[in-house]
Amino acid sequence: MRLHHDPGLQPERTVMSWGCTVLALGVLSLTFLRWWPAVGAWAFGPAVVAAVGGAAVLATQRRRYVAHADGIAREQARPALASVACMVALVVGLAGLGITATLLHAA
Amino acid sequence: MDAAETPDGPETAAHDGGRPAWQHRLLAGGEEPDPRFTLANERTFLAWVRTALALLAGGVAVEAFTGALFAPPVRVVLSTVLLVLAALLALGAGARWLRVERAMRRGRPLPLPLIVPVLAGGVVLAVVVLLAAVVLPRG
Repeated sequence: MRLHHDPGLQPERTVMSWGCTVLALGVLSLTFLRWWPAVGAWAFGPAVVAAVGGAAVLATQRRRYVAHADGIAREQARPALASVACMVALVVGLAGLGITATLLHAA
Repeated sequence: MDAAETPDGPETAAHDGGRPAWQHRLLAGGEEPDPRFTLANERTFLAWVRTALALLAGGVAVEAFTGALFAPPVRVVLSTVLLVLAALLALGAGARWLRVERAMRRGRPLPLPLIVPVLAGGVVLAVVVLLAAVVLPRG
């Protein structure tokens, strides 16, 4: 891993920002779990999806920091297109499952 | 770990900046921006995603926790508004991230955040539904 020279600590702040997002996913997962007694699998499924999504982000945190520090050192960072696309898909998917569960619960 | 390996997959040196072909197509043109700006754009995207996740949790919480407070139709409408808003915000955040990245690469002014009025409009709609649910039964 290359050491970077950025006094603004951009790699660390960016990785921590992903960490905060994982915490938000954890809270969402627990909120879905709390809904389990009422809607069953339609709440348990999204809870697992959110938890697995958060775990996937956590598992890549070190690689992310190394890539960012390397990008700062080389003065050329790679935009995180795949990570961004996966996160958008995760949130949209969870919202879709939530809407489905809401409508099924009401029916 | 190999420094060339990133969370977005192994590098393919044949393309500009070592990007896979599909990423190269989406980000083609212009010059590599300052890496600090690329990371700042990523953190801004994540801030929008956390806003979307908070709305998602709110939508689920309305259904899970307010059974004794609101009638079922009110809960369904409020919850659906929040969940749809969360999905729109996530999609808008992704689109904005890409547009900002492209603008930075081409040295153009950054695009306006169009998801701000989406968020404002959605929250106003949710508040109107909430107020109607609280005030109307008493009138």
